[in-house]
Amino acid sequence: MPATDYTYPSVYFAYLFFTLSFLLAIYFFVRSRKDGYWGEQGEDAKFQVFQDDDKIRRTP
Amino acid sequence: MQPQFSKAEAANAPEGAIIHDDATAKWFLISSVAYFFIVGIIAVIIAAKFVWPDLMGTMSWLTYGRLRPLHVNGMLFGWLLAADMGLAYYVIPRLCGVKLWSEKLGLATAALWNVIILGAVVTLLAGLNQGWEYAELPWYLDILVVVAWIMFGINIFMTVANRKYQAMYVTIWYTMGCILWTAFVYLTGNFATLFATGTNQANLNWMYVHNAVGLIFTPIGLAIAYYFIPRASNTPLHSHKLSMVGFWSLAFVYVWTGAHHMLHGPISQWLQTIAIAFSLMLLIPVWAVVYNLFATMKGQWHQLRESVPLKFLMSGVVFYLLTCFQGPMHSLRTVNAIVSKTDWIPGHAHMAVLGCFSFFAIAGTYYAVPRIWNKALHSDSLANWSYWMLMIGGLGFFTTLWLGGFWQGWQWNNVSIPFIDTVIALKPIWIVRFVSGLMMFTGIVLFAYNILATALGNPEEAAV
Repeated sequence: MPATDYTYPSVYFAYLFFTLSFLLAIYFFVRSRKDGYWGEQGEDAKFQVFQDDDKIRRTP
Repeated sequence: MQPQFSKAEAANAPEGAIIHDDATAKWFLISSVAYFFIVGIIAVIIAAKFVWPDLMGTMSWLTYGRLRPLHVNGMLFGWLLAADMGLAYYVIPRLCGVKLWSEKLGLATAALWNVIILGAVVTLLAGLNQGWEYAELPWYLDILVVVAWIMFGINIFMTVANRKYQAMYVTIWYTMGCILWTAFVYLTGNFATLFATGTNQANLNWMYVHNAVGLIFTPIGLAIAYYFIPRASNTPLHSHKLSMVGFWSLAFVYVWTGAHHMLHGPISQWLQTIAIAFSLMLLIPVWAVVYNLFATMKGQWHQLRESVPLKFLMSGVVFYLLTCFQGPMHSLRTVNAIVSKTDWIPGHAHMAVLGCFSFFAIAGTYYAVPRIWNKALHSDSLANWSYWMLMIGGLGFFTTLWLGGFWQGWQWNNVSIPFIDTVIALKPIWIVRFVSGLMMFTGIVLFAYNILATALGNPEEAAV
């Protein structure tokens, strides 16, 4: 097959990474639904920022 | 809840507390601040060369063609990415409620990263340059970057794998996304391009350049903003679900936008149209992020008066909104026909990388360094001055280059104007660019001095 814009090895390399990235994105998105990020407890994670809060740490 | 302390605070920690060593974060932060200052000097010299082209004579090491890639690579990888990595080493263990997986591996990563940056200084000044935008480093340094990034990735992923809390805060998502996307973006931009020629090579290169900003500096920058805005304001994030919408829409949209750098160029029209469409769709993740962070600050804006980190953070959010509105707009064919290749582009790029992501990194450094060393910040006054110098200098720089870029583009679109006349006409713009650059460099000096004086100075007072 003659070389075209679509048949350079580098483009296949990019196709492969695009496909891998897309599949991984789909997998992790579905996984995030299963893990409850979109459910009732979905907002709990935001309080992790304060788990080592200065004021808490400095309370004797 | 298990309390967490930095190693410097260990004497006051109760039994059973988590003591964070933070050695890796220290090395990354201090070296990145030093590079910020050193490469800032290069930046000022480059700006001066626009006004006085004969400055520094004809010595090859100091020509514009060698200093410019050093400035770009030094700021991107020596300062910004290194500072972001240092802040990730500080933030991720705390969010996971565990110690960093391996401080030894982290210190080895910091050492290797410094070897890479010093290697970049020597090779780029010597003219050893691959000739591709943002991918100027010679291949042997590229391999070292890949090795260092794998070491960084293993350490962060293993820390996350050992986390105490099942749910992951959005900062962890963005940091992990950055690590994975960087692998893809960096390999494509620095290695896949070796096997391509002509238009394909240019297309891959611009895919890399745009995604270096969009899939490397954006996710790690937002990771930092999502952590430090709630921490510095002591206010929970407005909505974690909305932050997830922003994360996933960024993941799906960003990768297709690179070809907008080649509008009106010799690439397929369908590819140009896809790049334009996805560039416009970028407004979805951008608005999700900006609304969320603004809503977090609702009723808390008064805190900006007292808090330098918050000043930098919220100014960075405004610049993020502006730069991400500019991007889709100048991806439109009609606007692009005027601004492409003009001074508008460095004005836009500096607002993204300096005005937004560097502001986030500066804020994180101002917040983290006193806590890591358990010392009060050396000078709140200097910190305020560093903010205003960077802010006013930055605004002067960005707006001057936008206006100058439009003017330049209009002149270039008029074929009756000789090119050299368009160069001479821009001189007043470049004088303002130089003065603004001096102001920004003053801000960098004040920031770097304040951080180093805090880290190395005498412990007069513990951080609060």
